[in-house]
Amino acid sequence: MKNKSSLYFFGAALLVVFAGFSYSKFTEALTPYVSYEEAIATPRSVQVAGGLEKDTHSYDSDLGNLHFTLVDPEHAGKTLKVRYEGIKPANFEDAISIVAIGKWDSQAEEFAAHDLLVKCPSKYQGVEDYEAGDGDGYKSYGSGESAEGYKSYGSEASASEGYEAKKSFETETAPVTAPSV
Amino acid sequence: MLDALTHLYLPGAVTMWCAVLFALAALWGYSKSLGGDPTALTFARRGYRFYVLSVAMACVVLVICLWRRDFRIEYVYQYSGLDLASHFQVAAFWAGQKGSFLIWLMWSAAIGIPLARTAGRSEASVMWVYLLTQMGLILILAKNNPFVMLPEAPADGAGLNPLLQDDWMVIHPPVMFIGYAATAIPYSFAIAALWRGDTKNWAARAFPWTLAGFLVLGTAILMGGYWAYKTLGWGGYWGWDPVENASLIPWLVGVVLIHGLYLEKTRKRYRRLNLLLACFLFLSVLYGTFLTRSGVLADFSVHSFVDLGLSAWLVGIMGFHAFLSFGLLAYRWRSIETDTNEDPVFSRGTALVLSTIAVGVSTLLVTIGTSSPLITRWFMDNPAQVGPEFYNTTNMPLALVIALLLAAIPFLTWKEIAPKELAKKLVPSLVAAVVVAAAVGLSIQMEEVFHWLMLLLGAWALTSNLHKVVDMARSGGLASTGGYLAHVGVGIMMIGVLSSSAYDMSHKVTLPQNEPVRIDDLSLTFQRFIPRQGRIKERMEVLVERDNGFSYLAYPKLFVNDRTKQLMANPDVEKTIFQDFYISPIQYEPAEPMKVDERFMLAKGESAAIGDVEIRFLDFEMQGHDAGMQLAAGRPVEVGARLEVTQQGQKEDVRAIYRFDQAGRVDSPPVALASSGAVALTGLDPSTGEVQVAFSASGDMSPAPPRLSVDITRKPLIILVWYGLYVILAGGFLSTWKRFRQSDRVDEIDDRIAAAGA
Repeated sequence: MKNKSSLYFFGAALLVVFAGFSYSKFTEALTPYVSYEEAIATPRSVQVAGGLEKDTHSYDSDLGNLHFTLVDPEHAGKTLKVRYEGIKPANFEDAISIVAIGKWDSQAEEFAAHDLLVKCPSKYQGVEDYEAGDGDGYKSYGSGESAEGYKSYGSEASASEGYEAKKSFETETAPVTAPSV
Repeated sequence: MLDALTHLYLPGAVTMWCAVLFALAALWGYSKSLGGDPTALTFARRGYRFYVLSVAMACVVLVICLWRRDFRIEYVYQYSGLDLASHFQVAAFWAGQKGSFLIWLMWSAAIGIPLARTAGRSEASVMWVYLLTQMGLILILAKNNPFVMLPEAPADGAGLNPLLQDDWMVIHPPVMFIGYAATAIPYSFAIAALWRGDTKNWAARAFPWTLAGFLVLGTAILMGGYWAYKTLGWGGYWGWDPVENASLIPWLVGVVLIHGLYLEKTRKRYRRLNLLLACFLFLSVLYGTFLTRSGVLADFSVHSFVDLGLSAWLVGIMGFHAFLSFGLLAYRWRSIETDTNEDPVFSRGTALVLSTIAVGVSTLLVTIGTSSPLITRWFMDNPAQVGPEFYNTTNMPLALVIALLLAAIPFLTWKEIAPKELAKKLVPSLVAAVVVAAAVGLSIQMEEVFHWLMLLLGAWALTSNLHKVVDMARSGGLASTGGYLAHVGVGIMMIGVLSSSAYDMSHKVTLPQNEPVRIDDLSLTFQRFIPRQGRIKERMEVLVERDNGFSYLAYPKLFVNDRTKQLMANPDVEKTIFQDFYISPIQYEPAEPMKVDERFMLAKGESAAIGDVEIRFLDFEMQGHDAGMQLAAGRPVEVGARLEVTQQGQKEDVRAIYRFDQAGRVDSPPVALASSGAVALTGLDPSTGEVQVAFSASGDMSPAPPRLSVDITRKPLIILVWYGLYVILAGGFLSTWKRFRQSDRVDEIDDRIAAAGA
């Protein structure tokens, strides 16, 4: 039975080692909420929150990056440039608050986020904020002028001028021979 | 109380009150029966049936309200709308918290009827506890009544969250709630047994129900993963989101309990542990509900939650059951009879225990990770959450241990086996595993040694258990292969998870219309935008061609929800045996028309000025043919106009063309000016004889084609994840069936033992 108890000891030791390993992974994987200054100072992965500064977001479709600027709601004037390496979430412009998870990229001098949580003033409870999304093509959707932007969506999505020109032509196909000079 | 009633929809309120009354009556009846009154059981059963009927009626009332779009009822107003398709109209039932608690209660109540039948002699005590677990839900529903009325009926509802408007919404949540409801069953058996002080038979009775719950919850998780993967475009089937974890934790506790019950049955050991695990199973569901519905994780989940003021109630209910469980366990701990026969080192018992411990540790890790926002509150200024890498890295070593043990278990015996003999038995399956691993690993160009090890062990778990299943099936024991079959599934799934997540290839590309773009051996061509066709939303047609000749048309969807103006994206998934092609739309940029600084209408001889540029329309310059005849012949008509452009004192004459055909295609080729800039003829008004002239100072008027940006991911062998789960569930099904048949005879066997003893 001496053999057995040494096995138990071995098992317990293994569990302790694994517990230590898990603990270190736990602290490593933690992404605490921090202020913008702390986010810039620390090399670890953190979460920053803020509002979206108007008209600062742009989507780089070649690299697939979304750039925008966060504004600290509590300290007026404090901002943080963010690069999100992913698809722009739906209702992004509607966001009352955006949480970006990632770390400071000192070379590009911007916060490189790998995850975004977008909080919307939603009337839905249990809303699942969407991870996949769009980009600039739909810029107007979901923003204030959404109704207008939406109208131009669709097959004739080209800007209204060209569309109108075409329409005025189409409706007057019949008498087109008139100005034959 | 009457005042409160007037705010409620009467049929709903009546059915709910009936449910409460009949539940209390059934409780009272079961109490009397426990007190020794032989007639009370009939009364209790009748009361329970009426209780089920009342809850079912409450559900029917809600369904009717939803169906009739009766927006007077606040819940109907909140989750449905006039534009909703009829199946979503009904599915709105479980779109909100109140309705989902109601359907949870409904399943709980309904399952009670077969439960009472299989409980045998312990019926009264088990049903008593089981009713007690439902009281929590009833309390929550009393506080959050789904039948609350609005002062006046709005014309339209607020609409169902567009993300939930998916066919999976109809089936996934209800199945999930059957699984949640089923976790109360082993708990009821355990508490009832502890209470009676007779813990001998509870395991045999609770076993099939635990398996059934595992089966249903597993099915629900599978459907949820499939939903996330196939239509939500989250890119994967599992994101370690708190809501997903809240369903995974009870499932894992269920796995541990199932193995504990199996060991209790065969080895007469672990009785105390199993009672504790049965309590944990139910508590884990309550805890998950608390985490996801109290708002404590609101900042941490992609599923955001609103606190309906339920936190205190959920904590209260959880605390009550925790106190009941641990109190009773502590009280009975010493009197629980359990064998202490130890397993030899090299035996099936030891291997099973170790692998179950590994699953238990994994469960603990997932629980800790999911609770991290709560835990970190104690030692950090701001609560923090752990990322997915925590779950992935910590579960990896556990998966290795589990796979190794699973491979050995089929050929281990309860008695000590000589390592040499075991090795001999394992050789065939190990050889098969090496072949499988080599085939898979080479095909996906596996690199890391650690991955090779994991692949080999996963394959070994597969082949070894498959070997056993085949052996048993040959000797006529197919019905008993459930456990091994489930372990075959675990092996398959491990290979699938490894290959699809560690060796997936993802590219973000922008595809201009009709212009093929190459990625590795693939060529992608965005062909067209397809506008909404009835129920089918706006789609993009992408032609995918592989160098080996394989090609298909992908239709990722990108559309705006009419009501919320939310942009929705559904990926296109092309499944092949060896890999999935996963195309997720990122953005669609409509065609950019000519870049024009200014446009103006000019009659013959008129001129317009833009800055220092003056443009005069001199005259038409028509083709010799009659335009009408040209059109009738299907040929384009060309209208030319002579323009005189004066820029910085320099005059030049240019000829601009406007071309159109019968199909409505128009073309306005820009004409570059000698000085700078460009002009184009972009329209004409035949009634007035005016032309529309466009001017660009930069000279670049070229239109941009529509462009589609997508994320294309190849996920090798992801099919194995699904097939692995199917096999696990098939094994679970076999076991459930077998154990239900065995549990029918528990009382009979008990009597025989008693008779033999006398």
